[in-house]
Amino acid sequence: MQLSLTQKESRLGLKLIAPSIGVIGILILYPILYNIYLSFFNVRLGEENVFVGLGNYERMLRESGFFSSLVTTIIYLAGSIIGTTVLGLAVALMMNIKFPFRNITRTVILLPYFAPVISVVFGWQFFFDPVNGIYNHLMVETFGLAGGRHNPIGEPGSALGIVIIFSIWKNFPISYLLIISKLQAINKDQYEAAAMDECGPIARFFHVTLPELYFVLGTLIILRLIWNLNKFEEVFLLAPNVRTLPVFTYYTAFTGVIDQGYAAAISVAQFVILTALIIFYVKKVLKW
Amino acid sequence: MQKLLYGIISFLIFSFSANPVKAAAIEFWITETQSDRVKIIQLLIDTFQALNPGINVKLIPVDENDLPSQIAAAAAAGALPNIIEAGSELIIAFGEEGILDVPLSSEIVRQLGEKRFYKGALKMLSAPEKGRYYGLPYHGWVQGIWYRKDWFEKEGLKPPDTWENILRAARVFHKPENNQYGILIGTKSEVYTEQCFTHLALSNRAREFNENGELVFDSPETLETLKYYRELAGFNPPGPQSWRARDYYIQGRMAMFFYSTYIMDDLALAKEAAESLSGEYFSNLKGGTFDPELVNNTGAVTIIKGTKPAGYGAIVGLCLMKGKSRAEKDAVKRLVEFMYEPFAYITFLHMAPGGMIPVIKDIASMPEYLNDPRHVFKRYGGEKIEEIIEGLESIESFTSVDGRIFPQAGRIYSKMIIPQMIYSVTIEGKSPEEAVKWAEEEMKKVIKD
Repeated sequence: MQLSLTQKESRLGLKLIAPSIGVIGILILYPILYNIYLSFFNVRLGEENVFVGLGNYERMLRESGFFSSLVTTIIYLAGSIIGTTVLGLAVALMMNIKFPFRNITRTVILLPYFAPVISVVFGWQFFFDPVNGIYNHLMVETFGLAGGRHNPIGEPGSALGIVIIFSIWKNFPISYLLIISKLQAINKDQYEAAAMDECGPIARFFHVTLPELYFVLGTLIILRLIWNLNKFEEVFLLAPNVRTLPVFTYYTAFTGVIDQGYAAAISVAQFVILTALIIFYVKKVLKW
Repeated sequence: MQKLLYGIISFLIFSFSANPVKAAAIEFWITETQSDRVKIIQLLIDTFQALNPGINVKLIPVDENDLPSQIAAAAAAGALPNIIEAGSELIIAFGEEGILDVPLSSEIVRQLGEKRFYKGALKMLSAPEKGRYYGLPYHGWVQGIWYRKDWFEKEGLKPPDTWENILRAARVFHKPENNQYGILIGTKSEVYTEQCFTHLALSNRAREFNENGELVFDSPETLETLKYYRELAGFNPPGPQSWRARDYYIQGRMAMFFYSTYIMDDLALAKEAAESLSGEYFSNLKGGTFDPELVNNTGAVTIIKGTKPAGYGAIVGLCLMKGKSRAEKDAVKRLVEFMYEPFAYITFLHMAPGGMIPVIKDIASMPEYLNDPRHVFKRYGGEKIEEIIEGLESIESFTSVDGRIFPQAGRIYSKMIIPQMIYSVTIEGKSPEEAVKWAEEEMKKVIKD
């Protein structure tokens, strides 16, 4: 049979992507499908799994652990996404202004993002140590702002706040980097035109800069959403008592009464939530 | 050089032919995670491998808090190690799950000689069937309250050996406004927390199981202990705490803390380190504010007197995993026997003199053992050491009360139910009544599984 050139090309194309599809299938699709499969079972180590239907999901909706973890996750996501984006934007705007040593400053700003998580986590823990930490020393002894020494990372009331601040500090550089590259690409003519229309700096920001940055910011927010909803190590290493969904899944799967079927159900729920958020966001905000 | 090479080769060939070993690769998990200890154990392993060519031993350090989850993951993946060094509770829990080679460890115990072991230590790892052992006891420690003798004397307080004395002292010395704290007990959801709690609970006759093996955790005794524990936790440094906060004691910011005998070499070595970095050697150096008199000013109480006197401690043993090939089994057996050879055993124990107490009687009395390279034993004196070794005979735990073993308690221990209960009460403000009920429900789930 004689194949046309286009047919030949499409066959070649299929052959070329076949290996990647295979790799994706093994490394991504199989674990996801296996996880969904496990979520319908009571998983027992070294024994046969028992089919429980929707039992794990029913339990998830019945017990308070899942919902309190969901609320924690929502607060964590809202705080860290707004924080990294706003701080990244503010720093980018500042770094777009010329001043001495700007190049060095621009490099130093990236440091928190590049530093290994584990070492900065230890740094933060030492900073907030109730007995020897600098934070308490400043707050209590130097400035007298707090009545007594506290353990902000350990105490459940403040731990989530510290985790959010940590996430903002650690991750704003990537937002800054993407925003500033777009800022530098904005045509100067637009600012001049706006200035001629008697727009002040604030009006220029809202009418020129922000619309130009719309898609960069939109992309940044969705990436941060995906990254932070799946974020485990930053939260777990800094404050293991802050139970966001991935941390909650870990505790359920590997500690206490080990329940891998239930943990699988929680991670499926997390997956569904993430997918729904992405679809909604892409359609409504990015308008793709 | 060439001669040496020939020498080594002929030695290897000789030992190989004299000692036929089937080639095998085995995995050995240890809960000693400090790098200096890992180095010493690796040295022992290297020696073993040189003596047993063909056997390849992979040493993997695992934090004791992570061990249950790591084992669960390894079991799920079908990649269990061959030997694990772990606390008796965990070994019993693994035994209950049916993943241990009980016949093999029982056989090795018999070959080493049951009589050579301290009875109490061997008892902690006994399986319900007579003469069967879940694992081999290797070393042990005793828990106590370590306290500032000088502070207590100055205030005219009695040693913290009863519930009243502990609480009174904690209250007197708790001065958070001066960054000084009364006591350290665990409040994080960690093994250390359970260890502190168990000591107090045993002294109040609280139990997990009664004589008939029924779960009796939700009892007035447990509740009373938990309420007392919450009160004590009020004199902790701020926030959830774990054993790491013992540094505050070394800094002179704390009056007492729960700890095992492992603190003995820490204190003695801190002194050694401080001495080498100050005074005559480096007169200009102004380092931290380490108190060189701390070793001498530290007292210890190992028996807490509540409604009954109770000692608490642990036996750390070697347990062997099931379902391996004959060659691997032989290799495992050789390695275990090697670990009990006096030179290997004493080298191991000397990693933490005083902390790791021998479980073999003839080793405990060997002069080589009592002469540790860092002279920790000399610092404390022979009498104190003997007292501590004997203390090992009187320890109890929830798995072993009045000489009876409750294997289910080992599984409960591995699920960290008690630490979670304590965290919820001391940090999250849950009522003790509710928390004990919750814990008993969780324990029931574990037993049912």
